[in-house]
Amino acid sequence: MADKTPIIQMKNIQKHFGSVIALAGVSVDIFPGECHCLLGDNGAGKSTFIKTMSGVHKPTSGEIMFEGTPMNFADPRDAMTAGIATVHQHLAMIPLMSVSRNFFMGNEPIKKFGPINMFDHEYANRVTMEEMKKMGINLRGPDQAVGTLSGGERQTVAISRAVHFGAKVLILDEPTSALGVRQTSNVLATIDKVRKQGVGVVFITHNVRHAMAVGDRYTVLNRGKTLGTAERGGITPEELQDLMAGGQELASLEGSLGGTV
Amino acid sequence: MTETAQSTEKDERVKEISGFRQALIRPELGGICGTIIVFVLFAIFAGNSGMFNAQGIMNWGTVSAQFMIIAVGACLLMIAGEFDLSVGSMIGFAGMMTAIFGVTLGWPMWIAILITFVICMAIGAINGVIVIRTGLPSFIVTLAFLFILRGFTIFIPQQLQNRTIIGGISEAAEGDWLAPVFGGKIMGWFFEMLANWGWIDTFTRGTREGQPVVDGLPMLIVWAIILIIAGHFLLTKTQFGNWIFASGGDAEAARNSGVPVNRVKILMFVATAFCATIFAMCQVFEFGSAAADRGLLKEFEAIIAVVIGGALLTGGYGSVLGAALGALIFGVVQQGLFFAGVESSLFRVFLGVILLLAVILNTYIRRMITGER
Amino acid sequence: MKKSVLGTVLAAAVAAVSFGAPAYADGERYVLVSHAPDSDSWWNTIRNALTLAGDQMGVEVEYRNPPTGDIADMARIIEQAAASGPDGIITTIADFDVLGGPISAAVDAGIDVIIMNSGTPDQARELGALMYVGQPEYDAGYAAGLRAAGDGVTSFLCVNHVISNPIVAERCAGFADGLGVELGNSMIDAGQDPAEIQNRVLAYLNANPDTDAVLTLGPTSADPTILALQQNGLAGDIYFGTFDLGENIVQGIRDGIIEWGIDQQPFLQAYLPVVVLTNYHRYGVLPGNNINSGPGFITADALEMVEMFAGEYR
Repeated sequence: MADKTPIIQMKNIQKHFGSVIALAGVSVDIFPGECHCLLGDNGAGKSTFIKTMSGVHKPTSGEIMFEGTPMNFADPRDAMTAGIATVHQHLAMIPLMSVSRNFFMGNEPIKKFGPINMFDHEYANRVTMEEMKKMGINLRGPDQAVGTLSGGERQTVAISRAVHFGAKVLILDEPTSALGVRQTSNVLATIDKVRKQGVGVVFITHNVRHAMAVGDRYTVLNRGKTLGTAERGGITPEELQDLMAGGQELASLEGSLGGTV
Repeated sequence: MTETAQSTEKDERVKEISGFRQALIRPELGGICGTIIVFVLFAIFAGNSGMFNAQGIMNWGTVSAQFMIIAVGACLLMIAGEFDLSVGSMIGFAGMMTAIFGVTLGWPMWIAILITFVICMAIGAINGVIVIRTGLPSFIVTLAFLFILRGFTIFIPQQLQNRTIIGGISEAAEGDWLAPVFGGKIMGWFFEMLANWGWIDTFTRGTREGQPVVDGLPMLIVWAIILIIAGHFLLTKTQFGNWIFASGGDAEAARNSGVPVNRVKILMFVATAFCATIFAMCQVFEFGSAAADRGLLKEFEAIIAVVIGGALLTGGYGSVLGAALGALIFGVVQQGLFFAGVESSLFRVFLGVILLLAVILNTYIRRMITGER
Repeated sequence: MKKSVLGTVLAAAVAAVSFGAPAYADGERYVLVSHAPDSDSWWNTIRNALTLAGDQMGVEVEYRNPPTGDIADMARIIEQAAASGPDGIITTIADFDVLGGPISAAVDAGIDVIIMNSGTPDQARELGALMYVGQPEYDAGYAAGLRAAGDGVTSFLCVNHVISNPIVAERCAGFADGLGVELGNSMIDAGQDPAEIQNRVLAYLNANPDTDAVLTLGPTSADPTILALQQNGLAGDIYFGTFDLGENIVQGIRDGIIEWGIDQQPFLQAYLPVVVLTNYHRYGVLPGNNINSGPGFITADALEMVEMFAGEYR
């Protein structure tokens, strides 16, 4: 991995909202084919950070390098075109729409009918079925509504959609936070498959165990600052947990909870 | 995201759905069932009342077509996640504009019509822009326009002509090339043929003695069919249709996926205004006058038709065909109750009952399709 | 679930039929199509008179109206009435442009039509109707204007609650001409809502304190106007005339708030057409002229009968 150049380099990113300093100089590199876990407690600045990465926010100061050149994303579409896709925690899918309509939402396959942009249902249905099969989801049909899928399946659809449309970096915003055990393992398996295709995955979570399961590297955010990036194997779950909580309080708590957190 | 704990493999707890059942559960199912029920009932209770002779069919057909025209616009807008309560006022306003341009100001009728379309669609766009820019519910914004437009519809002709009905439109539209596109009738030869075969009655006296009682297919019905086909095509077959569903289903998710939600919604407001204007034009050129009270409560009738047709009030789900069937049910029930000899003051009671039944049935169907809980 | 829904629909349908009039018996069938919205209580008299005439003559009668008062909807109802093949249609010409087509189509389809209430004898003849039964509005207004002028009135407010019906507005125009003054801004669009009407009358009288008289065009505008006058203390002081009758108007006449009410006797407008049509269809007899059902001026002197049947037949 070290021989590769990073896809994204976030250099000393600061973001202020009025008088609130949400990010106070954060630097992170994302390499292709790695799963980079971004950990942090609620309010640590994770969301602000990924929104900056995906072009929703403009950094107050600092530099974003994309494939070696400085980037200035005007809006999320720019970031998306460049290959940075975000899968949001709750806003991934529209439950009332069919899987194939969801899969191609915003990137509809076009079949020209005179001057009219037709939605190429045949192509969309075929590709959707193929992609879902690859990810291990057996659909009744491409017109099955997303609402009939489980939470984990929806995340998987969203992830495979992003990859299908050429994402080089995939930002997953707490994809496992609302899922049960089995669904979580499915999503983690999906992350693994995606990583093997050479996509850089930014996996945001506050669950250390999920992070340890798939992560290659770990960056912990606390109160708008990064506390450094650790390699896989270079840090224990307990240490990560401590870093996230800012050290002391949790350490004392942990004793009373018997190390179960 | 609900916790359902189903695996990605075949789940023994998900029952296999037969092909037949799958073909059956469509957004239009409620509308199809309702249409069948309504026709069967009226065939039984009003079968020999004149409801199903040529005049009768043309009567409820025309009334249904009126509902269909505005229901298509309201349906697309509702699927895109917004409401337009100014449809009824827009109908009155559009008719009045055409009357003022074409009769009071004496402009050529086709110019009056085109300018009316431009003005009304621009107002639709303003509706949309305000909703998008302010983030206010479209319910409130269009409610404001309900009053604003109705107010102008009364004020402007009173200022110009001291009255609120402007007649003489038929005379002013004489020989115009565009007016018959809205107020004319087509296929007269077909009905004459039917009359010659004795399939439909003829007038028995007066200047039109011997002519068929139904002398053509009103353009109103033609427009309804055109709009339904166009709307259905747009919604189900095009890229834009996918955007409409997405914008209404979850605007935030759609935006995240790169759907131009704002543009979609504004355009749907324009489309609704367009449909309302079509309605107004058909009415004005059929009846030859514009009045300040035209189109009262039509916005609710449009919404009722759309909801009977299976669309979801909160957006993201529905079908133009369903809305058209909803309009048909609405029209047939409204006119059919008369043919069946029901006391007219009970009309609203039945309307309410049907609306309620339709919504319950549709909710049930939708849950089957989408797995909503 | 589906079953129960179907069941309810069927039950509703059965109920529908049992509610309905015993349709399509042997007797003649006449349909009265009015232009009044559901909210207009004045038309209740018409409905009652229609039912009474139906009972007395042994014919079937039906009353139809556009729920919102939309004249375009009324045109559809006339077309529909024609399609159901009745022996006769009794209707109004609230807007000649809109209703002319459907009415003449009904006439041409062999249905006998009598025009009542709104419209003019000329319009009725033009459309091929048998006759006109009603009160010529302009003439009635003119007569009222002359009477008011004799009582020393020189300026007035006309409270119009049906601004969209140009024929009713003729009453104001006739009144103005009878007084010998310009109508100008004397006519206000009061709307249909009682509270709004009350407030608009108050506002007008505040803004124009030298107004001599108030003319209302029916109970819808008269009732709130009475309240408005009681509120600003002009009740009994200002010259107050009204068209049509209703319980509150009758009370107002007795209390001396209202000088006179012009009764167009709506009873006759619904009753006589049924009688005329029935006898025409049974024995081929038809009066040779139009029938004026009004105007009749009702003052405090002749209230007994009116009071007894106000809101029902008067």
